[in-house]
Amino acid sequence: MAPPDSNAPQEAIRIEARGEDLLAVVFTAMASPCELLLPAIDERAAAALGAVVAEEAWRVEKKFSRYRDDSVVAWIHRNRGTEIEVDPETASLLDFAKQCHQLSDGLFDITSGVLRRAWKFDAASSIPAQETIERLLPLIGFDKLAWQAPHLLLPLGMELDFGGIGKEYAVDRAYDLLNARFQAPFLINFGGDLRANRAPPRGAWQVGIERPGTLRDAAMILTLEHGALATSGDAHRFLLHDGIRYGHVLDPHTGWPVAGAPRSVTVAASSCTEAGLLSTLALLQGGDAAEFLEQQGVRYWIVE
Amino acid sequence: MQLKPRVRRPAGPDMRRRLMAASCALLGASSARSQAVAGSGPAPNTWSIDTALAYYHEDGRIQAIEPVVNVLKDFGDGETVGLNLTFDALSGSSPNGALPSRSVQTFASPSGKNLTDPSKLYTTAPGQLPVDPHYHDQRLAGALNWQLPLTRVTQATLGGKMSYEHDFFSVSGNVSIAEDFNEKNTTLSLGVNDEYDTLHPIGGTPVAGSDYTLFEKTAGKTKNGAGVLLGVTQVMSRRWLSEFNLSADRFTGYLNDPYKIISIIDAAGNTTGYEYERRPDERTRKSAYLENRVGWDRASAGLSLRYMTDDWQIHSETAQLHLRWWIDSQDKYFEPSLRWYRQTAADFYSPWISAANQNSTAYASSDSRLGAFHALTFGLKYGEKLADQGNSAGGEFSARIEYYQQVTDGHFDAPGSLQGLDLVPGLKAILLQIGWRF
Amino acid sequence: MKANRMIWILLLPAAVLASGCSSIGVKPWQHDLLAREDMRLTNDSLDTAIDDHLYFSKEASSGGRSFAGGGCGCN
Repeated sequence: MAPPDSNAPQEAIRIEARGEDLLAVVFTAMASPCELLLPAIDERAAAALGAVVAEEAWRVEKKFSRYRDDSVVAWIHRNRGTEIEVDPETASLLDFAKQCHQLSDGLFDITSGVLRRAWKFDAASSIPAQETIERLLPLIGFDKLAWQAPHLLLPLGMELDFGGIGKEYAVDRAYDLLNARFQAPFLINFGGDLRANRAPPRGAWQVGIERPGTLRDAAMILTLEHGALATSGDAHRFLLHDGIRYGHVLDPHTGWPVAGAPRSVTVAASSCTEAGLLSTLALLQGGDAAEFLEQQGVRYWIVE
Repeated sequence: MQLKPRVRRPAGPDMRRRLMAASCALLGASSARSQAVAGSGPAPNTWSIDTALAYYHEDGRIQAIEPVVNVLKDFGDGETVGLNLTFDALSGSSPNGALPSRSVQTFASPSGKNLTDPSKLYTTAPGQLPVDPHYHDQRLAGALNWQLPLTRVTQATLGGKMSYEHDFFSVSGNVSIAEDFNEKNTTLSLGVNDEYDTLHPIGGTPVAGSDYTLFEKTAGKTKNGAGVLLGVTQVMSRRWLSEFNLSADRFTGYLNDPYKIISIIDAAGNTTGYEYERRPDERTRKSAYLENRVGWDRASAGLSLRYMTDDWQIHSETAQLHLRWWIDSQDKYFEPSLRWYRQTAADFYSPWISAANQNSTAYASSDSRLGAFHALTFGLKYGEKLADQGNSAGGEFSARIEYYQQVTDGHFDAPGSLQGLDLVPGLKAILLQIGWRF
Repeated sequence: MKANRMIWILLLPAAVLASGCSSIGVKPWQHDLLAREDMRLTNDSLDTAIDDHLYFSKEASSGGRSFAGGGCGCN
């Protein structure tokens, strides 16, 4: 989740028409354009449903953002070195992070955020020195935390970053809230991580995936009937140095980006969280991304 | 510094399963249930297999075992192909059409050529309904069905069936077309079918109406049928769906049951002989059918009515009701059902022929299936969703039991010594079935 | 007489269906309940096939919902 843009009105939602039979409720959250697509129903009803989705997005953002002083993550960081008791939602996210850390052989690691201190993916930066990275490596590793729900001990110098799953988690939470009260087809899209409950009146949702770097800049159109799509990639955040492209998804074992990673990976799965994790892990396989996703038996689209 | 290549660690085969379990734990099971259906183009193909094993048992008569398997491939864009294979094996006692008598009766089995070869004879005790105790039959049938969307609102269906028994072979084909109107609230459909059957009765085809003891047999026979069905399906409300069909069919050719005879009874109630049954060589049927289904959150109900009439003067009414009740968070259900059926007799139906009115050229049959009766079926089905197997859509296990009873309508004035005998007893049967769908 | 009355009872809903079709119905996204498996009018359920075969071999009527003609030697 990127830092909030203080100029954009956070708490506003807007309704616009999309074609002749769809409405979109549009707002900004987690520094991304977010929308809820609905069949053309009464605007007040659409606004009410949009509010449910937007409020959940803003709630998850406020709670887990590392940029806000009032977030749970900030509170955890203020209490490094002491054992604290976290709330049930944070506990379940930490359990999930632990299970993903184990099943990915340590590739998925929410403690790898400290590498940000070495890698700054903006136009002015250069690649960091190896010593800089090596000083940070001892501060990375989920197994270095003492975590047994609900008690957490975050050692000094370490950080937690839910940015890798926050947006996808917010999609799934908003999806559950909406699904419980709305029977018609809908699609929730938070900046490209999206989920739909069933196919819309005209057969399928049309989703455009950016194909960064192509001359035509044309989007790849996917059709989605129901389920979730998540995209991981480095379309806008990467470093180009000596003709080599350094993506922003870093391998927590080495501190470096993985060689040969595709520009973007989109995965379809039953939940956005699962799709997001698979697309991130695929990127971390570098050149083996396609083979990895084949083995998992999911639908995927790779842009090199 | 060079980018380091990833140290290759082969992804474990159960990694996705563990990830799905972790997501379920985080989001709650209901959130992560359904699979994503996405594609750049048509959705991925899905297969489903439906199998069942049914056991049928009539009180004192036939029993049958019937395994069935249905395989369906869904191409995702509305096109489906289905293959059905059915095998059934029947054995037991089957009524031969003759009437009970106060004396012992002796009959030859279908392969017998006379009433003297003891290896082919069977006898019926006084007062009992004559049945062939060695009845057995096996049947293997296959059907192929192809549904193809032609436009967004039109769909065509093509089907073919074949059925094989050692004395009967049937092949049929059907074509239908359906069109949606009113944003898919109304669907009109029209279909035609054609059937061609060949019979090779065991021991030969008896000459219709001839004297049983003469064993006059001829070669195999055929029959041909064609039918048309016109239907309209209408969404009445979000919860209520209705379907109305009109259909007609006409069969010509050999329509007799080659193994059925009729007793010739004199005024005193004695059986003086038997003759083979004789039915018309043409039959036209028309029927009207109405079905309604209503759904609620945890239950649904269906009621269907059918009225049938034909030119043998048989007409029938059928009413069927079923209720499905989901229990235990939509994973298990019970489905009780009830069916009521009533038919009138064919105009040439008669449980016996009186000796005084014997006429070998008239139509006559004592087959109880052409007589007047009413029938009730009580059924109960239990179904349970099986756990999602990761990539598959999740299957279902079901078990059901049905009790079927036929009760003869009307009263027959039995002559002479036959008074006091139950001449046309009904039928009681039970059906047990288990099934799996994957 | 009884037969005629039966026909009228069955034809009345048909008249309703034929006349008011364009005004009855629901929006496409309201087909959610009707898409549920137990609400479909499809007739490829194995139960229906087994039952139809049973009734075809014990009664004089068949079909109505789908094509008549059993394709077996049991009637």
